[in-house]
Amino acid sequence: MEQMRQQWLHGFLDLCLLSLLAERRDYGRGLAERLAAAGFDEVPGGTLYPSLLRLEKQGLVRTEWEPSTSGPRRKYYELTSEGRDAVVERTQGWEGFRAAMDAVTAFEWASTGERSS
Amino acid sequence: MTSSQEWGAQLTTHLIEAGVEAEEAHKLAGDFLAEAQDAGQDPVGLYGPAMAYASTIAQTIRTATAAIAPLDRVRGPVVLRLSRVTKRYRRRTVLRGVDLTLRGGEVAAVVGANGSGKSTLLNICAGATRATSGTVERAPRVGYAPQQHGVSPLLTAAEHFRLFGAVHGMNGRKSLAIGTHLSQQLGWRPRPDVIAAHLSGGTQQKLNVVLSELNRPDLILLDEPYQGFDQDSYLDFWDQVFKWRDAGAGVLVVTHLLHDLERVDHLLELPRVDES
Repeated sequence: MEQMRQQWLHGFLDLCLLSLLAERRDYGRGLAERLAAAGFDEVPGGTLYPSLLRLEKQGLVRTEWEPSTSGPRRKYYELTSEGRDAVVERTQGWEGFRAAMDAVTAFEWASTGERSS
Repeated sequence: MTSSQEWGAQLTTHLIEAGVEAEEAHKLAGDFLAEAQDAGQDPVGLYGPAMAYASTIAQTIRTATAAIAPLDRVRGPVVLRLSRVTKRYRRRTVLRGVDLTLRGGEVAAVVGANGSGKSTLLNICAGATRATSGTVERAPRVGYAPQQHGVSPLLTAAEHFRLFGAVHGMNGRKSLAIGTHLSQQLGWRPRPDVIAAHLSGGTQQKLNVVLSELNRPDLILLDEPYQGFDQDSYLDFWDQVFKWRDAGAGVLVVTHLLHDLERVDHLLELPRVDES
């Protein structure tokens, strides 16, 4: 089950990150914590950071290093205007997909009577 | 050197080997180290082993940049036309009445079971084998990567580039520059001191593909060049095929894998021809 959840998240991670960044700019560790707080499993860094790099290379996200008074510098990620368009478009796509998924998984054993034996 | 710095150095080396420009590789490694430090974690703990992570990152960069800029499709002049091509060896018919028109900017895939004459057809397209009947018209500049015998075991990659470049009238420096650039597009950085015999099967095939592309041909003929490629390189190979197409070449690929075929313009399925 855990492996399945990892695979699902893999498919949706880009949209999750874009959506979180639409809410506010953040750094890598902060994004991982917000994903965990939302109820996802811990996202491995080997998955999270390549996703962020891909979004940056696609021009959907830009990054900025900020010096810190205490501790190391920190890399912040924020959406570009293309990124904001992508959030809207991909969220619509996801909603259609989720509706189809709900329609298919709404099937209930009890209503068929087949499982009552 | 701390273990973090060592991981960073390894990542840089593997990124460069995977075809990432040196300057970008150094910057990426520095950024990843700084992010790990900020997260308060060991780079190995956060990202995993340097070699595996470098491979993921190189793949991410290639696919992301390939996806941003899909060029408008321009279909050019006909670069290959086969009309009723038939091949017989004694009384055995290998190909019967094959027709195909391939334009610049198009990809054709040839599929069929073993023994259906795929390689024979490729050789006929290249002019290496004569058809028994029918006509073959092709563009003057042809790149050809046959399945076997494409590379010379005792020459290095650079020597191959110079030799094949000379065939097309290029000087050594230009051949080397183009060959190195094309290799990097396939995620391979040739080392100067390694002869072809010591390359892995997949890398030999990459060398073969690079040689076929050295003269910027109008027609590129490829015979199952992914054999021995690992899965990631296989994807890179198709990226490369579509880059050649977008650059205006007509590409004919003989394949027995049925992946990716929804993206090709022509699918030529060869039936197994029985003895007649």
